[in-house]
Amino acid sequence: MNDWQRKSPLDWETYVNKMVKVAAIERHEYEGWVLTVDPVSASIVLATFLENEKVSISVVLGHAVQEVEILKEGDDEMKQRLSCIFAPEESKAYSP
Amino acid sequence: ASPRFQALLGGDAAAQGVRAALRQRYLRGLAAARGRPTRFCLRAGVRVDAVFGAADVEAVAFQVDALRTPLGVQAAALLRCTDVLAYSFLLD
Amino acid sequence: RTGRSVQPPAERPGERRMAEMKKLYGAEAAKIQAMEAAMQLIFDRNCDKKQPKYWPIIPLKL
Repeated sequence: MNDWQRKSPLDWETYVNKMVKVAAIERHEYEGWVLTVDPVSASIVLATFLENEKVSISVVLGHAVQEVEILKEGDDEMKQRLSCIFAPEESKAYSP
Repeated sequence: ASPRFQALLGGDAAAQGVRAALRQRYLRGLAAARGRPTRFCLRAGVRVDAVFGAADVEAVAFQVDALRTPLGVQAAALLRCTDVLAYSFLLD
Repeated sequence: RTGRSVQPPAERPGERRMAEMKKLYGAEAAKIQAMEAAMQLIFDRNCDKKQPKYWPIIPLKL
């Protein structure tokens, strides 16, 4: 387990809705708005907004995370935008 | 109950609520990935494209379809989570 | 006789899992468990139906 995986849910929550730079193993880097951190695997889910109105989702697995740097805080509008990305549609999305 | 016990309880409930919210959003994200063309970045600089199928609860493996390997397309495959560093897909 | 006359009921795996979930997620435990079960069902069903093999065959992380 790395330092990132050892953090608590309350620690991870402080990164949600912020623009971050994730340094991963093998010198990979990812940037985006943090949607969530999975409390089971410590994987970080990032969103980036593309010009064509699409949203790119990147998930960096917890075991690969070395460092997470906060670049920018999200304002209320951004929080709202982020909360709509995985809108609660369980019934539809989870139907087998 | 002592104030300390109450604080502990409160802290616990707060952590539970936060953990639940984080997990729920993550599970919704996995559901959103289903059926989408996804690029997986593996160890040792290996990058492969596939269609996201499903993930298991314990984060052991990803089930993918139409995995394009250097040796051809594999109709269905499992990627080990320990091999995967990151993956990304588009939402429209 | 020194032993207890009534044995505790055998613990069922489902109950133990629910107790763990309660500890982790509190009031939201049942909801999270249902979402996880739905996801695992899809994973298991895909594995049954498609018989996917691990790729690469040898783990990259040794």
